[in-house]
Formats: sequence, structure tokens, C-alpha cells
Amino acid sequence: MYSKKIQEKLKELGIEIGDRVRVKSRGEVCEGILMPKQELGDPNAIVVKLSNGYAIGLNFEGAGLEKLEGHRKIGFKSSDEKLKHVAGKPTVSIISTGGTVASRVDYTTGGVNASYSASDLVKAVPELGEFNIDSKFLFGMMSEDMRAEHWKEMAKAVFKELKTDARGVVVTHGTDTMHFSTAALSFMLKDLNKPVVFTGSQRSSDRGSSDSFMNMLCAVNFASKSDVAEVSLLMHGSSSDDFCYAHRGTKVRKLHTSKRDAFKSVNDEPLAKIFPNGKIEMINSNYRKRSEREVSLDDKLEEKVALIKTYPGMDPEIFDFYLGKKFKGIVIEGTGLGHVPTAIEKYSLIPRIKEATKAGIPVCITSQCIFGRVHEFVYANLRKEYEAGAVFCGDMLSEVAYVKLMHVLAHSKDLEEAKKLMLTNIAGELNERTPVFE
Amino acid sequence: MKCGIEIHQRLATEKKLFCGCSAQPGEEKPIATIERRQKAVAGELGEVDLAALHEYSRNRIYRYQVFPGTTCLVELDEEPPHDMNKDALETVVEVCLLLNAKVVDEVQVMRKTVIDGSNTCGFQRTAIVGSDGSMETSKGDVGIQIICLEEESCGIVEEKNGEITYRLDRLGIPLVEIATAADIKDAKHAREVAEKLGMILRATGRVQRGIGTIRQDINISIPGGARVEVKGAQELGLIETIVEKEVKRQEGLLRVKEELEKRFGKNTLEKPAMVDVTEMFKNSASKLLRKECVLAMKLEKFAGLLGEELYENRRLGTELSDYAVAKAGVGGIIHSDEKFEKYSIGKGDADELKKRVGAGEKDAFVIVAGERKACERALESVYERALHTFKGPQNEVRRVLPDGGTAFMRPMPGSARLYPETDVPPVLISKEWIGEVRRKLPEKPEERKEKLLKVLNEELAERIMLSKNYPLFEKIVNGLKVEPKLVAATLEETVVSLRREGAPVENLNENKFMELFIEYKCGKFVKAAIPEILRYVSRNSGESVSHAVEKLKLEKMSEKELKKVADEKKKAGKKGKELIEEIMREHRLRVDISELSKIVGA
Ligand SMILES: [Zn+2]
Repeated sequence: MYSKKIQEKLKELGIEIGDRVRVKSRGEVCEGILMPKQELGDPNAIVVKLSNGYAIGLNFEGAGLEKLEGHRKIGFKSSDEKLKHVAGKPTVSIISTGGTVASRVDYTTGGVNASYSASDLVKAVPELGEFNIDSKFLFGMMSEDMRAEHWKEMAKAVFKELKTDARGVVVTHGTDTMHFSTAALSFMLKDLNKPVVFTGSQRSSDRGSSDSFMNMLCAVNFASKSDVAEVSLLMHGSSSDDFCYAHRGTKVRKLHTSKRDAFKSVNDEPLAKIFPNGKIEMINSNYRKRSEREVSLDDKLEEKVALIKTYPGMDPEIFDFYLGKKFKGIVIEGTGLGHVPTAIEKYSLIPRIKEATKAGIPVCITSQCIFGRVHEFVYANLRKEYEAGAVFCGDMLSEVAYVKLMHVLAHSKDLEEAKKLMLTNIAGELNERTPVFE
Repeated sequence: MKCGIEIHQRLATEKKLFCGCSAQPGEEKPIATIERRQKAVAGELGEVDLAALHEYSRNRIYRYQVFPGTTCLVELDEEPPHDMNKDALETVVEVCLLLNAKVVDEVQVMRKTVIDGSNTCGFQRTAIVGSDGSMETSKGDVGIQIICLEEESCGIVEEKNGEITYRLDRLGIPLVEIATAADIKDAKHAREVAEKLGMILRATGRVQRGIGTIRQDINISIPGGARVEVKGAQELGLIETIVEKEVKRQEGLLRVKEELEKRFGKNTLEKPAMVDVTEMFKNSASKLLRKECVLAMKLEKFAGLLGEELYENRRLGTELSDYAVAKAGVGGIIHSDEKFEKYSIGKGDADELKKRVGAGEKDAFVIVAGERKACERALESVYERALHTFKGPQNEVRRVLPDGGTAFMRPMPGSARLYPETDVPPVLISKEWIGEVRRKLPEKPEERKEKLLKVLNEELAERIMLSKNYPLFEKIVNGLKVEPKLVAATLEETVVSLRREGAPVENLNENKFMELFIEYKCGKFVKAAIPEILRYVSRNSGESVSHAVEKLKLEKMSEKELKKVADEKKKAGKKGKELIEEIMREHRLRVDISELSKIVGA
């Protein structure tokens, strides 16, 4: 935002962002389009886009400002155009929820903004012409803002599309918490009969090098052509634009802040490799097949669940906060095989685990190692946790355990049933055997 | 004629512009290759850039070589850019001041769309630092329009079957771009301006040297012609030729336009049919034509025009061919104003071709061979280019050929190609900072030369004034009060001859030279010993200069010792000049001749 002084001056002169202006500063004159101020810039510098396309910042102090003829609209105009169906082409539904895949540079906030609709993206990927695309706008939000209520809305929207004649459903989503959403929908969509494919991008779609184009193309192909009736997450398989992986929605995690191939399957093989020409190579033979079953929606979630990470020096009193706030379930992301501090009485979590369990609150254990499974018997300290009532969640990811506990608590009448359900495989989140990887 | 030039010069910073990688690529071998595709996307104002679309229409795959020391995730477009390199910005501010340009108050980094794959992001980061400068030349002042700081693009390794391989080590090196106004008077003047700008840049002592570290783009237009940007002239010597040939080319195209007006009146060229003549050449002696597909196409009323010479060895037919090469990736086309024997096409075949495309006396025709799709695209491009000839020269970007001629590269990009880079915060340039840079400003080349001519001969003065060693030269001469001639000769001549004989002179850093001249100043050794000492130190870079002197037994003879040697010679009956010569012959590396003369004379 410009400083108050500049804003007032602009108002006084009747100048708006996008107007052509003349700025006289230190004896020099320059003309161009008045640009909005980037968040990070100096609020006292006026930014003008010159006729050669460059923008420069000029100090407002002592500068003369004048309005000229002409105005340019700044920003991208999203199209909401409905795309017509052609008989004989397979139909795929695309639901957009926001994120980088739907982002463009926004000049008013100075960052990328989720304002790009699925139909804009379809226009940008002409190869999608071999499909009938039904695009729906659900939200335009960055995924870090998502909450359980959004998963429910997403599940409802996907459920509705599954009832149409679409071959499959694609959901475009911000990448940061995409794996939470895929886990949530994996539990909420029962007897899934078609592919539900989540995709996103690490580079916004306004740049020619964006990964969104290929991810989108592969996602639509996978939704239409594969027989994997699961909720999957599909993103780049490498740093190159050569193929994508579809990962099981409950066995995947974002493992890099910025790379295209940030998502990896954890404790499981990816489901399939998908190439931009539409070719699909199955990798994992263990998946639910496309069928004529009747899909149902079960979107009940207990939202009072906490995910706590242990670390050297942690204060066990954090438990008191959650217990005091009447939370119904806790997932502890322990160290190594699922350890929590136990030996020094003052800092031990064991009394807290006992207290929670006694109050009927399940305490579930996962590992911050990300890869591998937790184990309740290898060390004495692990046995202490187990004896205190903790539920060791096998090879389940922390994020998935957190979402699953929300689902389980909305469907169980007591602690014992909840514990049992946590250790029962519902949507591929628990593997009995860990495959050997490279 | 209107002519302006743009200079791109790499800066000699330690690190790249937006990441921590080394800005000085060495001899590293690539360790991996990644593969990318790029798309034309709508720009800031919703328009798709024309140049971008053109590249996209070629549907290319780009490969990028990864180098361990000079590539990180930023170059791979796998990590956002880091903060702007302040050393690079300071150098550009310095260049602005040297060119009397106005420095902006806040630097706004922009993204300049490039879809030829030369940047993994699909854009190049660039920012205006200064504008409205000027420089003096022999033909009056030349205006400097803008001075930008930008990132270097990828280096091209090879281009094969529509796939380009780039190297990432170059990507992101800071560049200064200087664009002059169209004030250049003629071809010779263009060269002078380029030379002078190069000299000013080198005077900062903060730019890279060597092949590929400086490039000139030239903008040329003639009355009635078009604006043409010639990209990538690396040799100053070629600039004159480039300008001369481009002027001739545009004049030639204007002649063609006039002729077409005579032949066509108000009409234009109807789109001709493409005729498949593949089977005609199935058993042809010409390998060029034994391809999956050979297509031919008539160009009505074009007879004789394709052979029109635009400048030496360049005909209109080549212009059409360039388009086909650039847009369809074919090797080229053959046209009816060429000598067919060159392609082993006999008279019979030529007549048959004429018949098949339906060409009469007044018509021309073209042939292209290759994959069917490429051939079709090639002929479409030829038709497109043929239509352009009705309008004369086109606004376009051309690349330099080795002989100073040019070939079509892509259409001139529109103004939609710049939009803000929001990942990098704008950088404020304070008045205080500018003041600081101004205080440290190097003299202008002509001032520096004048100063040096007082203490050095012209050749040495010219060499040291533009040398990267100039700051060191000043430091030694001013700080240690060593004779300028010796310092300049050591830094410029001795080191070069040591390098020629294969000594690893890159080990001789600033500290080593300071040490050398301190020891010299203290009288440890004589001038003549310097090459020996430097040779030794370059090969044994861990050892000190004084140790080297000891080891090589090059200590300067003390007065006492010298007297003793002289006395011995005198006893042997030597005297005067002969005595001096003999001692110098035997102890050249250890004796200061003036000292000896004094002793002998006494
Ligand atoms: Zn880097």
C-alpha cells in the first residue's frame, strides 16, 4: 500500500491505479501507468510502469504528479465460461478450491492470489480438448487456511460429481495441506467407485514454466482412464516435466517446500506413473477398482482433536491446555519409534497419557521420522507409554492419524471402540508390510 | 538510418544475482540433466506475448544441464529467488554515474517473458537502475536510454530435432544492460560507441572478461524500413559489417516491395496449394530429397524475385528459407531461382516440378523435404513470409551469422512481456549510497589514460588502464611507491609470459603481489629476479615470497659482497664497461646495475 500521504494526494488529484500519469522528480519527467504498491516496497515511492514495459520507483518527496489521458485495467480477468459438451468424449469434473495451481500475480496485494478458475486452466492446456470438462468453482483459498469444515464441503462437492456420468473427479488444491484433504476425503467417501484425483502446483499458473499444466493434464487423464477408485494425490514425479505420480491419498506427504516433486509416497509405493501423453503405468497392484457400487458420503468429523509434536525440552503442560479445552482426542508425533519423554518425572508425558486415557480420550502415537512404523515394545520407555494407554499407529502418517482420529471419534461410542478403529485399516492408511524401496 | 545499440556485460561478482551460486563458471562437468516444457501464458494485461506464442508454436522440449558448483534449486526454478546481490547493484549504480544517468529511487524487479527456454522460469529477471544518460563520441553526444541490472540466460549446448540443450551454470550471473538512444550516425559510429561503452565498463574493474562475457544487440531501421533487432554480436570487429548488411537488406526488401506492387497492383498472393512430389525423388541421387515427404508449392508471379540479392550472398529466397527453418525446424528450402544441379535435380525433374505445381513463366516455386508435418509447416511459413514481402521489411529479431549477415530468429516481442517479479522485494537506493558510490568512482577512461601516460609508455598505459589488475596496480604504486613501469610490466607482461610457458599463474593472487613488492621495496632482490620468483611461487603457492627468494638463492648481493666480486674481477685485469658486463652476465639476477656502476665508478 502507498503511504497515507501519497493516497491523499492521489485522491485529491482524482488519480486511480492504472491511470496514465506524469511524475516530475528532481528535474526529470517520466510518464507511465501508475502501478499499485507491492507489499514489500517503500510506501513513499511511486511506482510507474514506463512505455518500455519496465516499472520504476520514484521518491514522492518533492515530486510533482499530474494525471494524463488514458487508463489500463491491471490484473487478470478470470473467465467463468461454461465449456460445451461434445458427445462421445469422456467427461471429467474439475472442482477448484484454490492454491498455487489457481494463482496469478495480484498487483494489489503484491503476491500470488488464488483467483484462477478451472476453466481458465483448461484454456491454458489445449490437450484437454479430448475431454468434456465440467468445471466447478468451490473456493479460492490457499490450503494453509483450510479446516475440517472445508473438507466436508469438498467431500459433498465431490460426492455430487461422482453421481453424474463423469468418468472421474479432479480437485485442484493448494499443495501445503493437500495431503490432509486427500486423507479426509479417503475416510469420508465410502465405497468409492471412481477415481478422485487431487492435484496442484508448486509454480503459479501465470508463468510459462508452471508445473500446473502437466499436473492438470495427467490428473484428468488419470481420472478418466484409470480404474483406481481411490482418492489419490497426483503431482510431478521428478524435477523434469516428464511424468507424474499418483499417490494414495492416505500414504502421501509434502516433503519439500518448493520443488515440483515435493510429494512422496510414504511407507507405500505410488499407485501409478502418468505421462503427459495420457499413458498410465501402474506401479502398485493393491488398490480399489472402479465399479458400479453405490458411493456414500459420511462426512461426520469430531473437530476437537489435537496434533502435538514432542521435542527435547517440551513442556507437558501443553496437555493441560487441550484437556482443559475439552479436546476429545490427541495424536502425539513422537521421536524415533514413537518415543515421548518418560524418565525425568517432572517432564514425563506418561502421567498425562494416563490421565487422558482415564478420561476416555484416546492418545495416538506416530513418528516424526515420517518414514517407518512405530513400535510399542522395542524399548522399556515405549512399553511405559503403551501401558499408560497410548495407541501405537503402525506405519500411519501423523497427518493421516490426526484426520482419522477426527473421523473415528465421530463414529465410536467409547474409548475401546475408538482404539480398535484406529488400528483397523479403513482407506489404505495402514500397511501390514513395508515395501522395500530404493 | 536510425541505429542504437544494447550492450550486455557480465559483472565480476562472486555470486549470482539471486542465489548463492558462483558467478564465475569454470570447467565443471554436468552431473545431471532435467527436461522441461514451457507454455505461452497470458501476461499482466491478459495478452499473450507474440514472441512467446511464436516459440510455443514450435512445441519444444528443453533440457538443462546441472553443474554442481554453479547450479542450485534457484536455477532449476525449484526454489524462489533469494535477495538481490547488492555488489551487482552497486556496480550498476557506478555505471549509471559514469554515464551521467539518473538513478531510480527504488529498483523494481520485473519478469521479462522468454519462452525460448533460455531461462527455466520462462522469464528473465530484470530491473531499470538508471535512465537518461549520455556519452561523448567523435560524432556528438549519444543518449543512454536505460541501464538495467538483469540475470544472464542459460548457455546453449546444442539444438537437435527441435530439442534444445542448455547449460545452467551461466543462468543468473548478473549482467548490466546499457541501451543507447537511436543517435548512432553510421556503421563506423556504431563500432565506436560499442568500444567506448566497453571501455567505460572495464574501467570499473568489476566486469568479467573473456569470450562471451560481453554481447551487443543492434537496433537498425531505415526510412520506410522496419525496426530490426540483431542479437548477440560478440565481436566488436563485426559491428560495422552487421550494420552495413542490415541496411542493404532492408533496402533490398524495399526494392522487392516496389517490384511486387508493379506485378500485383492492388492484389496479393493467393494461398497456393501444397503438392506432394515425394515419389518423384524416391530414387533421387540427392540425399537431401530422399525423405519421408517432399512438398512443392508455386509462388505466383515471383519468378526472378527469389534470386534477388539483398546483400552479398543473401537472396530473398534465403529470407523465406529462414522462416521455414525457424518455424518448422526443417533444414531449409530449395527455390526455383537456384541452380538445381546443386541438388542433383535434372532438367527433366525441374520441368516436371513446374508442371505439377502449375507454374508458368512468371511464377516461382519452392520445394521442401523432411517429415510430413514439418514440411507442411515449412511451406505455410514460406507463404507467410512471402506475404510479408508485400509490406517491405518486418519488425523482427535476427541473429548474427559468422560473416556479419543475419538470419530471422523471431518476431519482435510486444510490450506485454514485462510484469512485476513479486518474489523479490523492491530495493531502495538512498542518496547516501549514491554519494558513497560517487566518491569511489573510477576516473573516466580518457582521464585515466592521461594520468598514466605521464609515467608509462603508451602501450603499457593502454594495457593496464583497462586491465582487471588496475586496482592492484594503483594500490602497489600509491601504497608502496614502487616504480609504475615495473608494476605495470610485472602485472601485464611477466604474468602473461609465465602463463604462456604453462605456469599456474592463477595462484598468484593479490596478496602474493603485495608480498612481492614489499620484499622488493625492502631491497631483498632485484627487478630481474621477479620472473623467477613468480614462477616458483605460482608452482608452490603455499610458500612465501621470502622463502622463494632464499630457496632460489636470489637474494640481492650486499654492497660488501658486490665490492668483493668487483675487486676480484679488477685483480683479473677487468675494468670499466667490460667488468660490469661480465659481472652482470654471471650474477644478473642478484645485482642491481646502477648500484654496480656506482661501485665500479668509485
Ligand atoms: Zn544458484
